[in-house]
Amino acid sequence: MANIIRAASRRDVLSITAISAMGGLLGAARAHAAPKSMTLMHESSFIPPYDAYMKTTLAQAYEKATGIKINYDTVSVGSLQTRVTTAAETGSGPDLTCVAFNWPYLFDEKLVDLSDIAEEIGKKGGGWHENIKEAVVVNGKWKAIPFGNIGQLMNYRIDWFNEVGVKDFPETWDELLEAGIKLKKNDHPFGFELGHGFGDNHGWLYPLLWSFGGREVDTDGKTVAIDSAETARAVDFCRNFYEKTMFEDVLGWTDVSNNKAFLAEQISCTNNAESILFVAKKDFPDIGKVTGQAQNPKGPTGQRFHILNPWSHSVFTYAQDVKAAKDFLVWLMDPKQVAGWYDVAVSYYAPFLNMFDQSPMWTAEPRNLPYRDSLATSHLPGWPAPISRPQSESVAKYVVVDMFAKACAGKSTKEVIADAKAQLTQIFKPA
Amino acid sequence: MSSTTLPAVYVPKPRRISGVRRWTEREDVFSWLMIIPPVVFLLLLVGYPFVYGIWLSLENRPVAQAGKFVGLANFIADFHDPVFWQVVQNTFVYTFFATVLKMVGGLGLALVMNQDFRFKNTIRALMLLPFIVPTVLSTIAWMWILDPAFAPVNWFLRWSGIANPGPSWLGNPHLAMMSLIIVNVWRGLPFYGITLMAGLQTISPELYEAATIDGASTWDRFVYVTLPLLKPVIFIVTMFSVIFTFADFQLVYVLTRGGPANATHLFATYAFDVAMGGGQLGMGASIALAMLPPLALIIIAMSLYMKPNKS
Repeated sequence: MANIIRAASRRDVLSITAISAMGGLLGAARAHAAPKSMTLMHESSFIPPYDAYMKTTLAQAYEKATGIKINYDTVSVGSLQTRVTTAAETGSGPDLTCVAFNWPYLFDEKLVDLSDIAEEIGKKGGGWHENIKEAVVVNGKWKAIPFGNIGQLMNYRIDWFNEVGVKDFPETWDELLEAGIKLKKNDHPFGFELGHGFGDNHGWLYPLLWSFGGREVDTDGKTVAIDSAETARAVDFCRNFYEKTMFEDVLGWTDVSNNKAFLAEQISCTNNAESILFVAKKDFPDIGKVTGQAQNPKGPTGQRFHILNPWSHSVFTYAQDVKAAKDFLVWLMDPKQVAGWYDVAVSYYAPFLNMFDQSPMWTAEPRNLPYRDSLATSHLPGWPAPISRPQSESVAKYVVVDMFAKACAGKSTKEVIADAKAQLTQIFKPA
Repeated sequence: MSSTTLPAVYVPKPRRISGVRRWTEREDVFSWLMIIPPVVFLLLLVGYPFVYGIWLSLENRPVAQAGKFVGLANFIADFHDPVFWQVVQNTFVYTFFATVLKMVGGLGLALVMNQDFRFKNTIRALMLLPFIVPTVLSTIAWMWILDPAFAPVNWFLRWSGIANPGPSWLGNPHLAMMSLIIVNVWRGLPFYGITLMAGLQTISPELYEAATIDGASTWDRFVYVTLPLLKPVIFIVTMFSVIFTFADFQLVYVLTRGGPANATHLFATYAFDVAMGGGQLGMGASIALAMLPPLALIIIAMSLYMKPNKS
């Protein structure tokens, strides 16, 4: 090479360099040298064995099979979105990441189209649940491979409900209110988050709004529809529900508060993921025995709803080897591998693949079954409008949560709906 | 001092000084050489993000997408956002009360700590603890202290029959703001105390003696000797404190995340939620930048008011 360059003119040098660079690229593409390692970023799980299983079992198995080391990089709860933002903005960081809510939409342009492997994985797994597409399919392209739903359902004290004569968990919000009034008299109030947490507030307030027939924005994704008789009824109900079954502190609660209150036997019912039962069984067995879980109650529309809170996996477009990252996801989502990962978390992450609907993990703890059954009625915040950027802004500004919270703190229904409407009109105004 | 009277005097050998060295030893050059590294450092780490922040605030810049210049549209949107105005109000209330309490408390603390007493040094060191412990850690401790069920305060109120179930420190909008101010004061007091104490120690005891001879009472000595001489230090500490309190983030983020219903949202937390949670980087930057003019005004007003007399 040195001789050639010495002999050549400057123009020749340039063309030789260009050709050899191209040849190098083509060669690399043809031979596809596998990367030595890849990084998968995840939020720390509330179920510790879950993270440990990836680190010690799955990552090692993959390295053994392919020689590619998987670095499993966990970030603290609540900071994943900031980290994903940093990675997407700077174009460097992990190759793969866990994404939640509507992030596949938010980070769309920085995420690889995974439609081909989504189909492949879906076929192997008996097909995907229909409504998960709401969260991961962006403009007809799968931008993430769904992993599992962290459902937000009713967690309640079976024994205390029995004491007031309620044998089965109430079917409707009105019946739940009735039970709550009796329970509060017995010094067992309810505790539903109305503050600025990440999830436990949206987890019951959006479903409450929907089950009363209310919505933030119409299906066109533009027309603000919050100002309706249905919303007003939902707000009135919420205020009544708060006043008669809860206590002031819930207005300032963040996501840890209700877990703490439930396990401290302060409250008899809340809305949360499976983590309460999981921790109770481990650390407070007496509470674990009397903790029940149920789907959200039905509203006046006769329908019940839940929040879609999926964890999925995406590949960044800047990943050093997109193909290798996709291969890893295919391997990971193969029932042979992924079943074990679901199992260690005891159904905390409800799979979106149909073949797992009858999986033994659901029978291991039948009390978790409502989390599976809730999938069909789960939607992202903002539903029935399609996912959009303004929707994210609305969630970040806690428009719906604060509408309810302000009503509970004493403001009139008319006022809080007007506030929410003004905010939403501004958020959804055409750019 | 001539060499004839003192022949043995040391005469330095004339050394050859290189041109470069002579140049660098010129005072104007040397001073610039010393200043350049910190200036470069500041430009890179403060100037660049700041200018980039201004640029972002003028763009419609969704996360992971290219931005579009929109002029002042983000600021106009902020001005029409009722939550923004609530944030402005919250930040002023928070900063005003926290700073005043820290100033008064810190001065008291400094005066007490400046006395002679046993274990003086140990106690002075202990006083710094709230300031040394990482904010997030101490704030989590406060989260427990303010918990209505486990908190010692509410436990005492219940036990003594004063209030049952006791106030909701973080659930009631007014109490939540008050609680945040208390935690901020608790954390910031040592900074005030230790800095003012350093200021107190520079005041010459002779001045107090002279004042005493002239018949000044303790109060007179405080008002006519201590305060005027401490003024520059108070100014500096207050300026720092206003800046840090105005832009506070960690405390709110850990304790309330801006709840209940935005009652404790400050500029920094609201900007973070909009930029990171909502993925609207431009709008987030505009909210964060909106704190600059009021902050600058406060600092200018303060420096005018508290300017030490040059005479």
